[in-house]
Amino acid sequence: MRIILFYIFVLWGVVAMAQNKQVLYGFEESPQSLMLNPGGKVNHKAHFGIPFLSQIHINGGASGVSVYDIFGKSEIDINTRIRNKIFEMKNTDFFTATQQLELINFGWRARNEIYFSGGVYQELDVITYFPRDLAILFWEGNQQYLDYEFDLGDVSTTGDLLMVYHFGANKQINNRLTVGVRAKLYASMFSYRSVNNSGSFVTRLNTTGVNIYDHTIENANVTVETSGYASLREMDGANQVTSEILGRSLFGGNVGVGVDLGATYEIAENLTASASVLDLGAIFHQNDVETYQAKGNYTLNGIALIFPPLEPGEPTFPYYDDLEDTLEREVPIDTITRAYTQMRPTKVNASLKYSFGRVIGKGQPCDCKNMGGGLDRNQAVGLQFFSQFRPKGPQMAGTFFYYRNLFEFLSAKATFTVDPYTNSNVGLGFVTDIGKFNFYFAADNLLSYGNIAKAKSVSLQFGFNIKIAEE
Amino acid sequence: MKTNLAIPTFGLFLLFLTVSCVKDVDFDQADAIAPTPVVELDLIYFNLEGDDFFDETTSTPRLTVRDTTEIKFLDDSEIRDKLKRAEFLFKFTNSISSEFRVDFQFLSEQNDTTYTAQTAINTGSPGAAVQTIFIEDVMEEGLLDLTQANKVVVSVTIPSVNETLEGALNLQSKTTYYLEL
Repeated sequence: MRIILFYIFVLWGVVAMAQNKQVLYGFEESPQSLMLNPGGKVNHKAHFGIPFLSQIHINGGASGVSVYDIFGKSEIDINTRIRNKIFEMKNTDFFTATQQLELINFGWRARNEIYFSGGVYQELDVITYFPRDLAILFWEGNQQYLDYEFDLGDVSTTGDLLMVYHFGANKQINNRLTVGVRAKLYASMFSYRSVNNSGSFVTRLNTTGVNIYDHTIENANVTVETSGYASLREMDGANQVTSEILGRSLFGGNVGVGVDLGATYEIAENLTASASVLDLGAIFHQNDVETYQAKGNYTLNGIALIFPPLEPGEPTFPYYDDLEDTLEREVPIDTITRAYTQMRPTKVNASLKYSFGRVIGKGQPCDCKNMGGGLDRNQAVGLQFFSQFRPKGPQMAGTFFYYRNLFEFLSAKATFTVDPYTNSNVGLGFVTDIGKFNFYFAADNLLSYGNIAKAKSVSLQFGFNIKIAEE
Repeated sequence: MKTNLAIPTFGLFLLFLTVSCVKDVDFDQADAIAPTPVVELDLIYFNLEGDDFFDETTSTPRLTVRDTTEIKFLDDSEIRDKLKRAEFLFKFTNSISSEFRVDFQFLSEQNDTTYTAQTAINTGSPGAAVQTIFIEDVMEEGLLDLTQANKVVVSVTIPSVNETLEGALNLQSKTTYYLEL
């Protein structure tokens, strides 16, 4: 148990976060910014991601607790600290982990000036809300909580491992407007979700004289939907399981479809607005699905002995077995093989950018081919908004950023973000082009790097591309 | 020129990543993590009428009535490791004009006696029930014996009886489990 708790706390703090990539969004020197806004401006002719290295993204976090909160050196006993945290946190606090690995990414500008791009990436996305009431029950027991209804609805978690195949098109419609769309095919390798649960467990003093307490499960309705799990149970060993899961990445499992939409609009010469909607789609789980559902009401009063007259050697009633049978009958755990549709966690990005400084790249103030269009300048400030739909509602973040093109081959972007984890998330990223070689790196929560144990979230993206500039 | 600046830039980021660290934490504290929930759980209950102590078919007294139930979780290895104390509370309400003796005999799966407890129930009367509270607090050595058992035999003994015995003997009981997970 201690080991399990230890790993839970360590994973909470270090491994993962949400999917906000505030540093990379709008960072047009990186071809991967197209993945965050298919309608972003594209200033290069073509790009080819280095396979398996064009984007590596790790993001993890906990909205209510850090590793330091639990394991920081302190005079206060660790159990007291954990207990305090359990009571301090809310059932809307959450732990998330997201990891993405791009296998292939490529793009090119066709003769019709449409920039086509496509690729394949693998994604792991897990979110678990803090089941506060169950944590209290686990940590404290029920003795001090007579009449308190422990909410079974606190259980809320989803997890997905999938491969995404995508292809998109981006076109500058006129000097002001660039739009883009990206179609996505999802190949689900493994998925689970337990959301919208309800019911309670309560211990009350019995008032009818049966026994001392009534231990009651009231209106329980707890469901766990799984896809790609049932068949794994019968597999023999990790190799077989790995092989099976990898096989599903080529549409051997369940599939889904989705779309990314985006646009960039030059409001004025120095002012640019952009927005995107990502993963607007669903996965249709039809194969290898199993749903486990516990539903019902039950009150336990202990075991009623009736002292039946028995012949020597004759057994009495199987009280305990009867009690178990009654519980299973009243709150049965059914296994259902029912197809279900799972909406993707749709993400929304938006930004407003004010550019200033000297003009860089293509376009000049008197460029008759760019009338009314914005100019690329070497500095910019702006605001960004991010939102992602999650089981208990959207998670949002707001970012202030400063962009600077330091040299012809090097650009940097600094961000200050307020999100559910912290109100002082400082991020930094850079993109460098050395010849045709393009490299980018972005990380946030930099203020916590002095002691990462105090960070409630960490996000990191980097990747390598071959980028061919416009002639 | 480009290369000369790019290398220091890379270097800066690498340095940045290198200096990121985890400090002022002590993961050895994980060994000390020990939730200590206290769980209240109903145990057994019964309601014996006066005539339960007399066999009308054979017109003979049943001075001792006995029943058995399994408590399957008690000898579970997890419980054995994590249970630090068990406090049984038995609340008897007697409206029979007789005293009783009640024996609790805990048996292992092989029906070996591992733990016993007994108590005397005060005499009541049909018009004025008398309550007797019996608390059995089990710790340390006793706990080792108790958690070898997975069933309990309850024997209720009356010193003497006749077929007109009135009233009832009622039991309500619970156990408080003090755990260290």
